[in-house]
Amino acid sequence: MVSEGRLARMRILVCVKQVLDSDGPIRIDAAGGGIDAMPGALFRMNRFDEFALEEALRIREKFPGTRIDALSAGPERAAGTVRKALEMGADEGIHLVLGDECYRTPFEIASLIGAYAGDKHYDLILAGVMAEDDMQAQVGPMLAEILGYPWTTAVMAVRWPLFPGTIHVERELEGGRREAFDVTLPALLTVQSGINRPRYPALSHVLRARSQALITIGAGQEGAVVPFSLPWPRERIVKLEEPPPMKTGMILSGSPTEKAERLLQILKERALL
Amino acid sequence: MNDEIIVIAELSDGRVLSVTYEVIAFARAIAAGGSGRVRIVAPGREVQAAARGLADETGMDVLALEDDALELYNTEVWMTALAPWLAVQKPRYICIPHTSRGCDFAPGLAVRLGAACVTAAEGFQQQNGVVSFVRSIFNGKIRMHITPQTDMAVLTVLPGVFAAQEASRKGSCSSPGHVQFLRIPDHPQRIRAMGMSPVATQDLDLMLADVIVSAGRGIGAEENLEWIRRLAGLFSKSAVGCSRAVCDLGWLDHKHQVGLTGRTVAPKLYIACGISGAAQHIAGMRGSRFILAINTDPRAAIFQFADAGIGEDLVTFIPLVLEKASKLNFS
Repeated sequence: MVSEGRLARMRILVCVKQVLDSDGPIRIDAAGGGIDAMPGALFRMNRFDEFALEEALRIREKFPGTRIDALSAGPERAAGTVRKALEMGADEGIHLVLGDECYRTPFEIASLIGAYAGDKHYDLILAGVMAEDDMQAQVGPMLAEILGYPWTTAVMAVRWPLFPGTIHVERELEGGRREAFDVTLPALLTVQSGINRPRYPALSHVLRARSQALITIGAGQEGAVVPFSLPWPRERIVKLEEPPPMKTGMILSGSPTEKAERLLQILKERALL
Repeated sequence: MNDEIIVIAELSDGRVLSVTYEVIAFARAIAAGGSGRVRIVAPGREVQAAARGLADETGMDVLALEDDALELYNTEVWMTALAPWLAVQKPRYICIPHTSRGCDFAPGLAVRLGAACVTAAEGFQQQNGVVSFVRSIFNGKIRMHITPQTDMAVLTVLPGVFAAQEASRKGSCSSPGHVQFLRIPDHPQRIRAMGMSPVATQDLDLMLADVIVSAGRGIGAEENLEWIRRLAGLFSKSAVGCSRAVCDLGWLDHKHQVGLTGRTVAPKLYIACGISGAAQHIAGMRGSRFILAINTDPRAAIFQFADAGIGEDLVTFIPLVLEKASKLNFS
């Protein structure tokens, strides 16, 4: 195939974010503008980004010359997520180190990644459709716009290659419908969950990841080189709050048996049973 | 500073989608707190009729943005059609439905316009002259109030939060809005829209059920689906639903998925088992007549939307319910 020569030299960047597991104990901090990691809280790779990384690995399996860089912008602890990406099979890990735990807006993060990726000539950039923590779904398309790449979000299928430098993608719409696009590379795709089944790290990759050094760049802190300084944020968090525990409903109390009886009684009263 | 609010309408086959009216209601509510007016932009191939209809229904001015290239949605074409015009108008807010389409172009549009961007807004608050937008984070466990720091902001508005009927032209005092037409110039494309495909599996079970028992990641293991099925078996016209996470894990097929990217359902009874209650799921089931939530996490967002909540582990609780129910039937 004509296209394989080009594709074999393809370079892919996968953006991975470290998030605080929302199923674990989380709490709003004393200042009311940030989240406290409580004892037992778990920091891990954003699940949507796992799908993006898996998609990159599948592309490399199809086109063995492909190189995959995994990048995370985050505080010191985010190195763990970059390392996880290496364990899953990324070739290179890049950590844009933020000096503190402050919340960064999607535009700030996209600008930082854009400063790194600007001269790297990636053929394809992949990211999860959104982050599980702030659920903004913005960094991907913003990064594409900053780099001047075309983009497609919520991708559920990627097909290679129709003709050189083009990929065929399907994105997910409401109600499970899909719309298809041919996209010219270089391009950015954000990947919807369920596009694939992310793999568990292979032992060989885990061992390699243990000894491989990350590319570490100080960003957004005193002394950061100019392109890696943060832009002025365009939004400001006024406050975080816990939603009211329940709007209209009732929480059943008592022993499990009493709750079961009460539940059946409610269903009977409402002629639901 | 320009106080104008511009709503980007979403149309399909020349028809205005109902989410558009929700966003108009949202824009109107913000405008009520200030002096700004609301205008609507309707992009598409042939949108005259829809634009006139919108102007008539809402009393607002409508810009029909037309081009053959706007027949099918395409990120690039939408950006080139909207951005130059918006850059000249310099509105205070640009309101877009938080649909798969809106999510696709809104963040890039914000960057191109040098605007702030707030996605999945569920409401807004005005305090000391500062307008902040409310959105859910951490699967709905926490709410974020966020305010733009720029003169222009792009907002996507979560479907199902603002009642659409408020958008209609009230009384007879206001006249239909003015309709303006604009054709966009051609330009090279790196994205080509190749058309739409229907839902892979046509299955009406969810849509027809009176009772839906839904499973979330919180059920813990695939084998616990058996309890979900058996609980559903208590009811005559019932079906098993699930959250997106359960489909992603491969535990159930996507035809069972309830939510923004799955089915929108409104059964008589919706039982959410181990579902955290992310806005994406809530959008697909909030119209249910009675919502019952079973979850071990007392802080799960699902409890905010439930008519009744039970803080128990479904693996021990559902067997109890089944046992009690069988006794009820024989007594």
